[in-house]
Amino acid sequence: MKIKSKHPIFSDYEKDPKLFDEIFDEEGKVKKIYKKLFEIYGNHSIEDFEALNKKAKASFFNQGITFQVYDEHQQKEKIFPFDLFPRIIHPDEWEIIEKGALQRSRALNLFLYDIYHDKKILKDGIVPMDLLASSKNYLHQMMNIDPPGGIYNHISGTDLIKHSDGKYYVLEDNIRCPSGVSYVICNRTALKRALFGVFDHYSTHTVTNYAENLLEIIESVKPQGVDQPNCVVLTPGMFNSAYYEHSYLAKAMGVQLVEGRDLYVDNNFVYMKTIRGPEKVDVIYRRVDDLFLDPFVFHPDSALGVPGLFSAYQHGNVNIVNAPGTGVADDKAVYTYMPEIIDYYLGEEPILNNVKTYRCGNPDELKYVLEHIPELVIKPVDEAGGYGISIGNRLSKKEIEAVKEQIKADPRKYIAQPILSLSVHATYIEDSGSFEQRHIDLRTFSLLGKDKEFVLKGGLTRVALQKGNLVVNSSQGGGSKDTWVLKKSK
Amino acid sequence: MLARVANNLFWMGRYIERSEHTARYTNVNYFSSLDAPRQLSQSRQFVLRSIRFMTGDMPDESVKSLDEKETLFNLSFNQDKNYSIINNVRAARENANSARDLISTELYEALNKFYHYVTNYPSEVFVSKSLYEFTVYVTEMSAILRSKIHGTLLHDEIYAIIMLGINIERVTQLVRIINAKYNDAKKTESDNPRAMENSYEWTTLLKCCECYDMHRRLNRKTPHQLSTLKFLLLNPNNPRSVMNSLDKIYDHIRLLDPDDDPDHESTRFVIGKLRSTLEFTHISEIGIDTEGYIENLLKKISDISHLMEEEYFNY
Repeated sequence: MKIKSKHPIFSDYEKDPKLFDEIFDEEGKVKKIYKKLFEIYGNHSIEDFEALNKKAKASFFNQGITFQVYDEHQQKEKIFPFDLFPRIIHPDEWEIIEKGALQRSRALNLFLYDIYHDKKILKDGIVPMDLLASSKNYLHQMMNIDPPGGIYNHISGTDLIKHSDGKYYVLEDNIRCPSGVSYVICNRTALKRALFGVFDHYSTHTVTNYAENLLEIIESVKPQGVDQPNCVVLTPGMFNSAYYEHSYLAKAMGVQLVEGRDLYVDNNFVYMKTIRGPEKVDVIYRRVDDLFLDPFVFHPDSALGVPGLFSAYQHGNVNIVNAPGTGVADDKAVYTYMPEIIDYYLGEEPILNNVKTYRCGNPDELKYVLEHIPELVIKPVDEAGGYGISIGNRLSKKEIEAVKEQIKADPRKYIAQPILSLSVHATYIEDSGSFEQRHIDLRTFSLLGKDKEFVLKGGLTRVALQKGNLVVNSSQGGGSKDTWVLKKSK
Repeated sequence: MLARVANNLFWMGRYIERSEHTARYTNVNYFSSLDAPRQLSQSRQFVLRSIRFMTGDMPDESVKSLDEKETLFNLSFNQDKNYSIINNVRAARENANSARDLISTELYEALNKFYHYVTNYPSEVFVSKSLYEFTVYVTEMSAILRSKIHGTLLHDEIYAIIMLGINIERVTQLVRIINAKYNDAKKTESDNPRAMENSYEWTTLLKCCECYDMHRRLNRKTPHQLSTLKFLLLNPNNPRSVMNSLDKIYDHIRLLDPDDDPDHESTRFVIGKLRSTLEFTHISEIGIDTEGYIENLLKKISDISHLMEEEYFNY
């Protein structure tokens, strides 16, 4: 249905009644929280908006917030698409998200400690033994290591969606090297540059305090006996697609950005090579995957890591953030046990909903999945970035058969979930020069340190820019929005 | 600071400075030739050869006539020529990329804008009609970058490394420009024994180094060989002189190496020695064998750059 609007840039807005719209209610009226914004945006002409959109793009381009693409002839720089219409989150709603995200981070941390020590949760039969035995992200080298401060997942990214019932569901927990936080900050900067006036009408939490909190967190987990820890950010290098984020975080924390080749290990201590000779390093916020960290222990041909780093870590002379081996817990199969895991360690009910998940490793559930593929989303348990996902109602008969064969060949590798309809949000579409409905999700960022916790008040709202598309990952053509968490009115 | 990153920042400074000198040299020579007083200086071939000489890409003796568009394209947008402006700006940004965490957002954004401007500039427009606009933009952008370096960075060792890059490159380019124009002036020699001494090329040389007006103010007469060389080599108050740049280089190396009793093979010691020697050199000593002097100076500066690499960037 068309919404009723006198504003030209909203005149083509088609509201699908089956989907949860963040801005318009069931009758097509603007929700209270968006009213002022809608009014301000509505007063812009289509041409105004085109110009603003250009300005915002130029802002990203000039700041060098880009990634490289290669065509036949040369490499080109592209920006991640950014949408000018911010997503607004009500303080009450945010309170639940924040508490829920922290609850999950805490539970996952305790789970990681347990499975790398006594494995009580397995012995008590809450989580099946073969779930870990068959996980390629489980690092036996981490057994009985006590990470400084007892923290494994210092940084967690929780992916949430809002379903057509208006409730938030967690899609997955990212606790390896969750990325995207720099875009939260850039999106805010770009929106401020383009439409500064809108901020006068809303009282929005800042997002620029992330880096200072991150630094406090990683300093809090310094190795024993170190007074003033020397922290660094470890990047795979400037050709990595997240290099901008690595350099941003290092700059914003005021610490050195290093590559593997800048570090070396001597007598189980880690040093970086400076213009004045070696300098000891105490905490490494690494943005390099586990298996590339140390060629002596993991991939022997990795040039990104530091030979001997893991041994220095085992000796307690350096801390690695997030700890190696956290990947075992953000596995999509472990996800399905989150309510049990939260209950087991914290004795609490989960604050955020888990999506009902069928584990293909379980014969009964496998049977259900094979019979109901058109109603399900099938996901490989160990892929990131939206790869390998099959959406049941988009598949032809032939494709369904192919997916069935795939699952049967390696059931442990797959989970299935009911097709959720992600909520939609007005999004500026360049081609039509107006606002249209697009699916969105939300990634929050929470931090755990020694006696310190922090959740960034804001997050990355990702948008699937293609009409009807449900996959929001930037590697699959998604864009993002500035996300406002409003302050509680006094 | 990491040795690898220090190396990158040093070269960022060098590349920023280098692109400016190439742009300015081209601009000044091309436009002063248009109404130059003598036939030879007015000849387009003379100018194109001078530009090729300055970029270190001299054609074979056998090449009789240089193509104007090709020469201009080579120095600006030809990605196969390592001296082209586009390659210098790209290299400057690439070096900055690897040290983005250390430099200010303002500096990075200015350099990034510069890069996008140059890479998106239509080269065919440049070689046919916008020689002036483009070269002026490059020199102005370099000035903005230097101001961002000076005005937005902490004046610590990172700043010192960048400034060492800039000033070492400036000395190198100054001496190369002096060399190129000395070579041009020699060609204007004729029957008149004083032709070289009073050549119009000295005026062009001063303009190439952006200090013609100040020379005028100081000397109040038309530049000639010795006044020009003295002003460009020895005047400590001329920011475009070798002496002034060496003073700055010495200041910055002392920031990196504050030891007052430096090793006699250290970069600081070698720079200090060169600086002091120049301070107490009289222009008459240079006049005897100017070409030999210039060549020797170039070699010493290149040795200093190598020494720096050995001492600070060897990782």
